[in-house]
Amino acid sequence: MDAARQAQVAFYLTGKRPGAELEPVEGLNVRPALLSRYRDLSALRYDYPLVLVDGASLDGCVRALSGLVDDTLREIAHGEDGERVSHHVLRMEKALRKAAAEAPGARLSELWTATADKLGAGEDEALRDSLDRARAALSVDGTVVDCDGALPYRLFSHVWRVSQGIKAQHLSREIARLVHRVSNILQADVARSERGRSANTLKASVGGLDTDAFDFEALSQVLIRTANRTTITKTRRRRLEQLIVALQAYDFEPDAFRFDSCSEALTAWRERLPVLVDVARAMAMAELEIAGDYREDRHDMFFDGYGADGLPPDDIALFADYLVCVNAATMSAEEQAALMEILSSGLPMKVLVQSDDILKDTLPGAGGFGRSAPHFANMAMGLNEVYVLQATASHILRCSQQIAHGMLYPGTALFSVFSGASGFAGDVPPYLLAAAATESRAFPVFAYDPSAGHDWASRFSLANNPQPEADWPEHTFDYEDEDRKRVTDTVAFTFVDFVALDERYARHLARVPSSHWVDAMTSVGEALANDPGDQPGRLPGILMVDGADQLQKVLVDEKLLREARRCRESWHSLQELGGIHNSYAERMLADERRQRAEEAELAAEKAEGTPPPPAEAAAEQVATVEPELEPELSPDEPYIETARCTTCNECTQINDKMFAYNENQQAFIADPDAGTYAQLVEAAESCQVAIIHPGKPRNPDEPGLDGLLARAEPFL
Amino acid sequence: MATAASHCLLRLYEERHELEDYQGGVPRWCTGCGDNAILAAVQRLCRDEQLRPEKTVFVSGIGCSSRFPHYMKTYGFHGIHGRALPVAEGVRMARKDLHVFVNTGDGDCCSIGAAHWIHAIRYNMNMTVFLHDNQIYGLTKMQASPTSPKGLRSNTTPRGTFLEAMQPLTVTLGVQNVSFVAQAVDWIPELLYDIVSAAFRHRGFSFIRIVQRCPEWLPTMFEPWLHDPERVRLLHHDDGIKISPTLARVYRNQERHDPRNIDRAREIASCVDPIPVGILYRNPEVPCYEDLRETDHLRTTQFIKSGLEAEFDKFTVWPSA
Repeated sequence: MDAARQAQVAFYLTGKRPGAELEPVEGLNVRPALLSRYRDLSALRYDYPLVLVDGASLDGCVRALSGLVDDTLREIAHGEDGERVSHHVLRMEKALRKAAAEAPGARLSELWTATADKLGAGEDEALRDSLDRARAALSVDGTVVDCDGALPYRLFSHVWRVSQGIKAQHLSREIARLVHRVSNILQADVARSERGRSANTLKASVGGLDTDAFDFEALSQVLIRTANRTTITKTRRRRLEQLIVALQAYDFEPDAFRFDSCSEALTAWRERLPVLVDVARAMAMAELEIAGDYREDRHDMFFDGYGADGLPPDDIALFADYLVCVNAATMSAEEQAALMEILSSGLPMKVLVQSDDILKDTLPGAGGFGRSAPHFANMAMGLNEVYVLQATASHILRCSQQIAHGMLYPGTALFSVFSGASGFAGDVPPYLLAAAATESRAFPVFAYDPSAGHDWASRFSLANNPQPEADWPEHTFDYEDEDRKRVTDTVAFTFVDFVALDERYARHLARVPSSHWVDAMTSVGEALANDPGDQPGRLPGILMVDGADQLQKVLVDEKLLREARRCRESWHSLQELGGIHNSYAERMLADERRQRAEEAELAAEKAEGTPPPPAEAAAEQVATVEPELEPELSPDEPYIETARCTTCNECTQINDKMFAYNENQQAFIADPDAGTYAQLVEAAESCQVAIIHPGKPRNPDEPGLDGLLARAEPFL
Repeated sequence: MATAASHCLLRLYEERHELEDYQGGVPRWCTGCGDNAILAAVQRLCRDEQLRPEKTVFVSGIGCSSRFPHYMKTYGFHGIHGRALPVAEGVRMARKDLHVFVNTGDGDCCSIGAAHWIHAIRYNMNMTVFLHDNQIYGLTKMQASPTSPKGLRSNTTPRGTFLEAMQPLTVTLGVQNVSFVAQAVDWIPELLYDIVSAAFRHRGFSFIRIVQRCPEWLPTMFEPWLHDPERVRLLHHDDGIKISPTLARVYRNQERHDPRNIDRAREIASCVDPIPVGILYRNPEVPCYEDLRETDHLRTTQFIKSGLEAEFDKFTVWPSA
């Protein structure tokens, strides 16, 4: 083994560089090859900056600036000057992107004005015209946010505020309705009272102009004498008045429901619960009062102890949800315990756990990177009833619908977000680091919505990950070789690529000088796909580019490869939950295939020498309903085809003892001996639908039987 | 947006209603009148659906059929001639919590009330409308109605009517926003009930024309149909009425008809003999007017007063100072 090869093996196994054959990557400004095209984000049209739109619905409250610009251009960039307008507005968008990065949290309207001035809209008439038209068409305003450490808090606070605004509006409308209806009961009682029917009240209700036309005294006396005197009891009146007071006590002030600490949120919840119980009880009682169904003997006892064991989830869901924003890095043990209490309690709290660094140093002896970081999202899914969304800042816009669902979910929701602002990635912007975390499966995007159905297939989704069916997403990578020829490779973006962006772990990478590039080097994806013992001598490495855009091959040590394997295993677990390469399903499928193959084999053996079965005649679709054969009734017994009776009263008027109606108001013979045969025959004759069958006479001595039998003949 | 407690408690003490709870006195209709069959079917529906009597209202116009609300122990509004539908629309608009039924006759609906009928179809408000069509004015003792067959001699047409009879089904199916049209005959109670039930469950303007016998003034009018089951064609479909095997034994003239097929529904509606019975058309996707006009405004006294004042102010002549 030559020295260079020896050094590479030594590095792979120990992470040490014994000689000069391998070089450190520090100072080379290297980044994974697939990120080489993204040095300057401001030149790209992508999701950021975002606009947190004022006064929008939940669906449209977070928009990408580029999306808003596209909508605007669709509206205004037509006709002769369409191209000019597009050009100007896209220039403006690019300038706005830069301005937003410099002034995070600024208003869109302010940024627009300042940027337009900077672009020279004052002097350039055409530019001014384009931008004025675009601004007029872009009718929204809001806070412009870039992808940075403050983004998750800003974005989730905004969406939460919008969702709670809608909820509070519904609730206040409902409370106003209940107060109105309960007040109506009290007012109606006043109107029924003597005071309500007094001459003065009647006069006041007519108004000023025509009072001389009425004798209110006489009218009052008539009304008092003739009117219904029932009024509501004193107890009920007091109850109704108290209901109105209790209903009006509820108030929602958003800032009072937003917390930066789980334990403070829990304390506030406990303190405010009695008020919530009072309002929920008042709402329930008011509903019953309005329906006229409140019975003191039944309901007083129930409502006296109302809420002692907490409120049912549906009732809690009527009221405002809490927003708790915490940072995973600064959470104390108590905070973590409080978070677990929130998650397991099902309280109406929406918790944002922001992670800025998912590769922080491990505890001594604990193993690899980020292993000490808490995985709240995975844990919360185990609780079964928590809405969980894990996302990175780069994919957050794609998850906006799921964020809205989480905010509306009637229970606890956990949003675990990686901001990308770790501070250890050199000049790599947070957006790119966040995107790399998702691409590399280090921080996959997933959502678990317990309200979406009863099974994992309905509840869990990995759809927002790139190529969710693959271990690692693969992309094509074009570069120029030493002979200036274009080479196209397919390169996977792995966990190692993500770690390679972090300055702290540069020691796990070693640059191989091009003079020592050997064919035996393999990609991380391949190295992980094979058993470590299968390919002795093939060392894992990744492609990177340095600050001068030169391609570099970088070796990876065994420790980093081990962590990549661990990351892949975690991803496999998520895939199984998401129904991708599900091991149970794959086993069942294999069993089924084997069974079918065996059956087919057996059938083939049996079929040898026997003639083929005759082709089955195609069943013709029968349009008519098959009739049911009914047991024949004896013609000697009188009966009625009850189901055909049209309730015309003919027979019951002849003899209501002999003929009666059943529970569906259709006639049957209740007692054939309750009348004469003559009545049976008469009923049969008068029945318009001819469903009465008189049978044979039961009394042989009845006079005129011969004639009656002849008349009965057609109805037997 | 009711709380869980009120919902549970309302259900907990829900009372079971029997047929008698909906019976409001002995009907004064003639013996043998088809109205009795309709009344029996509707009372059965109320019991089976357990409609709360105080949440149910029957609105009618004028005529034999319009006495219907008197025989229901629910809320009722025996209105003026031809105006059952506008009253019902008002009830529906103001009280969406009520189940609204309308009883109207061929004179009440198709003659004096025809304009209201057309627009009620277009408004598609959620109510169940029974057109009791006996093809004669019965209460006023036998005058021809718009649906009287050509040539019928009556007190107003002693030499027989000169015009072809109006077909209520084709008229209804020709109006925009039509959402439910069915036909029943009073002498097949099982189907009458099934159709009434399907109409009630449809959200929208459910129109059922019920061909009804008048034993007093047209005693033999439907004799041929009554005694020959082949002259009644039953419409059935998995998405419509399903015919029981017992009924299928008697009525063998059947057609499988998809209630979503409006073209075929219009053809069937034009057929007079045999009489088609079943659901001709049903489209649950037509919006209801009350939903389109739904507003969040609470109609408080103050709100109504200020709206009225604003309207009156438009016509107020202010004396010059």
